[in-house]
Amino acid sequence: MDVPSVTGIQPIRTEFSRGSVPNSILRMDRESAWTRWRRGYEISAGVGIQHALTYPFEYRVPYPDGTAPTEGRQPLILGVVQGFPTAGKEFGVHWAGCRVGAILRFDNVTDSTGALASIASVTEDDEYWYVQLSGTWSSANPLPAPLYVPNPSGAPLKPLLGEIVEDRIIIPEGVPVTHETLNPATDKRYGYVQALLIDVDGENGILKLQKTSSFEASPDNVYLTPSTRKPNIGRYFTIGTRYACSCQDFSRRSYAFMMNLDGKEKRRFPHTKPSLLKYGRHELITDPNSGAIDNRAMTDANTNRDLTLTIESIDNPGVFRDFGGRYLRNFSAARRAEGPTTFVDYKAKDNQIISFSDYWSPLLDEMRYCKHIYALRFEEGILPPEPSDLPVDTSESLTEWEQKLVHESSVTKEHIQRTNGLRALAMMDVPPKNFQSPQMLPMMQKLLNVPASFIRLENFRMQDKTGAFYNPAAGEYPAV
Amino acid sequence: MADFGEIIETRYILSEEQLNASKFGFSEVFYSGSPTVYSPGDVVNLPYTTGETSTMNALGAAWAAYASGVGPA
Repeated sequence: MDVPSVTGIQPIRTEFSRGSVPNSILRMDRESAWTRWRRGYEISAGVGIQHALTYPFEYRVPYPDGTAPTEGRQPLILGVVQGFPTAGKEFGVHWAGCRVGAILRFDNVTDSTGALASIASVTEDDEYWYVQLSGTWSSANPLPAPLYVPNPSGAPLKPLLGEIVEDRIIIPEGVPVTHETLNPATDKRYGYVQALLIDVDGENGILKLQKTSSFEASPDNVYLTPSTRKPNIGRYFTIGTRYACSCQDFSRRSYAFMMNLDGKEKRRFPHTKPSLLKYGRHELITDPNSGAIDNRAMTDANTNRDLTLTIESIDNPGVFRDFGGRYLRNFSAARRAEGPTTFVDYKAKDNQIISFSDYWSPLLDEMRYCKHIYALRFEEGILPPEPSDLPVDTSESLTEWEQKLVHESSVTKEHIQRTNGLRALAMMDVPPKNFQSPQMLPMMQKLLNVPASFIRLENFRMQDKTGAFYNPAAGEYPAV
Repeated sequence: MADFGEIIETRYILSEEQLNASKFGFSEVFYSGSPTVYSPGDVVNLPYTTGETSTMNALGAAWAAYASGVGPA
């Protein structure tokens, strides 16, 4: 009788469905914010930020059609786009954007009588602060746009949800306080509070702020999280720093690759296996004149394109493959986990993205950042809070993982700075010329928080190394 | 007192090492002045007076126009 050899047979260690479908622990490890935080630190400290790929900009917000520009200083959004050369992306570079703090000021928010919207009173429950703004608010005179935008064809828009607000303005038209500003009357620091804007009650003039993930710059000049106090009555809010990135991790999608990664050209036909198609959004960048699809990464600096969005669709086959997925870790007051994602991280109207949020519930950090954004935050000098979701059940110890990360970073440092950097610039244009490429336009919309149609290349002024501004759309160049 | 658009808070002061690290490829990069002005983490001073269109007003106008189907000028 034949006896089967048992030497090559292993007991089944896997769990049900752990074949092509990752189990929950694998998913949790893959989505760990802690590993992004740690890798961001390694980029910042080990590899270094490439300041040759730092692009500060000034965006002149366009006026709506039919509106005449007003006298005086024009509305500006200030920010910086930082390139991260990488071997792991077809276009050779990830672009992380930062919109600097305090560009929006609530001392420019007025009610129908012209009264300024300072912080009148604050009530609270276990999870939220409810901030009543000064002024007379009603359904006929709600909070002004962009806080609350009446929508003729549906529910009102609230584009500022998800932004960070900070009570940094003491007097109207005053300079926003910093964590070090002293109050001359008391000789103590003012301090300030920052928190996430969760909802806006436009008809009653109430802002709902989240206590979890709030920050406080204390009078002792230290940062505390969560904040130990509520926003200060009588002050005016400003808006906080905002980040976005074009990388696959932040946008939660993997691109189809037309070439292999060692730089050798090898043309492929883009395809996606039907089993990998998921529900998500389907974006098309088109020429506004001809309506033709224009997905080029490199264009003229004065060619604007339209972003069209098809919702309730599947991934764009062959172009974007995976929108990612995650389990949210945050708990509501009822101590109920939020469950699997529903891909509702954006709102759309007439097939256009009108606002992005993040279906990652804020936990310590306001948005679910990628390693590039963490690297920028480390470079600021403010240590971003360490996320608590360490990877578990890994095949190697975390110490080994870190040692390997440090080693890889040091080995790739030279490579990234030279080869990848040069290759990157050969593959994709630099800001602002790439801002209307399919990889960048959704990210810029998320960063600037204006409607996609209001992102116009001719309104970008870039800053050169001398600090002077130049207009690429008019053919101007930086100083050499 | 800070002027309009000036950075009032930054933690992003480039060190000599960072400036050296920004050398691109094998070529020398020569700087005059500050190589970057707006940087991640900056806070700026943008006070707008009555009669001016502030960034808050402009963003509001853009979203209100969008909700009504109006594009940029």
